Amino acid sequence: MSAALTRAAATRLLAGRLSGEVVVANLGQASLDLQAIADRPLNCYTYGAMGQCSSIALGVALARPDLRVVALDGDGSLLMNLGSLCTVATEAPPNYALVVWDNEVHQTTGGQPTATAARSSLAAVARGAGIEKALEVRTEDELRRAYDRMLGEDGPFVVCVKVEKGRSEGRFTDRDVVGQARRFRQALAAR
Amino acid sequence: MSASWAKHVADVLRRNDIRTFATVPDYIVSHVLEDLWADAGCRVVTVTREEEGVGLLSGAWLAGRRGALLMQNSGLGNCVNALASLNVASQIPIVLVISHRGDLGEFNPAQVPMGQATGPILDALGIRWIRPGSIAELEAQGDGLVKLGYTRSLPVAIVLPAELTGGKQG
Repeated sequence: MSAALTRAAATRLLAGRLSGEVVVANLGQASLDLQAIADRPLNCYTYGAMGQCSSIALGVALARPDLRVVALDGDGSLLMNLGSLCTVATEAPPNYALVVWDNEVHQTTGGQPTATAARSSLAAVARGAGIEKALEVRTEDELRRAYDRMLGEDGPFVVCVKVEKGRSEGRFTDRDVVGQARRFRQALAAR
Repeated sequence: MSASWAKHVADVLRRNDIRTFATVPDYIVSHVLEDLWADAGCRVVTVTREEEGVGLLSGAWLAGRRGALLMQNSGLGNCVNALASLNVASQIPIVLVISHRGDLGEFNPAQVPMGQATGPILDALGIRWIRPGSIAELEAQGDGLVKLGYTRSLPVAIVLPAELTGGKQG
């Protein structure tokens, strides 16, 4: 049994494998970690619209079937928008992968437990929605294998990563939301 | 065969290069959807809740595609936070096509509060909107509204009143 995963370590492991993929990161911890660990123009950080990360990434994936799109969501946010899993299953974009950092709490607001701390499994919900490639991973070995698959095979994928609780060590140094959206849009247009 | 007004709405959207659509259908906007579903050049995604459409079409715009969300005004209530904290905050344009229940001729009391709140909600978000009462008004204002939305890089809304669409008969 290997040590429990942290969100930062899992983000670092993903960042090391990225080349031309688009990454859409959820507001709060997912964006803080991604910006601190691997800022790049093909990252889209969301600052508002809690719950919409999976849907924003779906919109990018449908518009650009030539690019692989990875969403980095949180359990609390995805629980706000479970219907998006049904829409992903229906549209079934092969270039779409939704990674869920599942620490079983609303981290940004102080660590209040979410439904995944009790009885709910987001990977099972995703399978029920009709996404066949829905995985739950708990160890680094499992995570490496999951990344290999979601970056190599046709999706859609949902990869639910059980991670330790804890706030990001990253701090937003730049909250120019208009400028960051423009940077992302221009980076996509250039590809 | 869609209603005549509906074809005009679909044409305003298409001639302004909008080819990506999200919807939670209602009786009235379904007439517009008939035209869009029949058009192989258009992609229509049926979402489970209107807010999801806001996220999806925002992603599409970031990826270079213009999008419109077709819904009833009840759905506007379901997407207020996403419109404010995503589209208005980050200046991501989207065209909202909103059927206006709960106003003139309404038979269902449950529709009336959101019907009366629709204009004030759009105003509170700073979203420019039109409410054409006839096909002539739609044709006179529709293109200009969409152009303004992309000039400002902000959402705009076409509200479809019963005077234009015939409404829904109870």
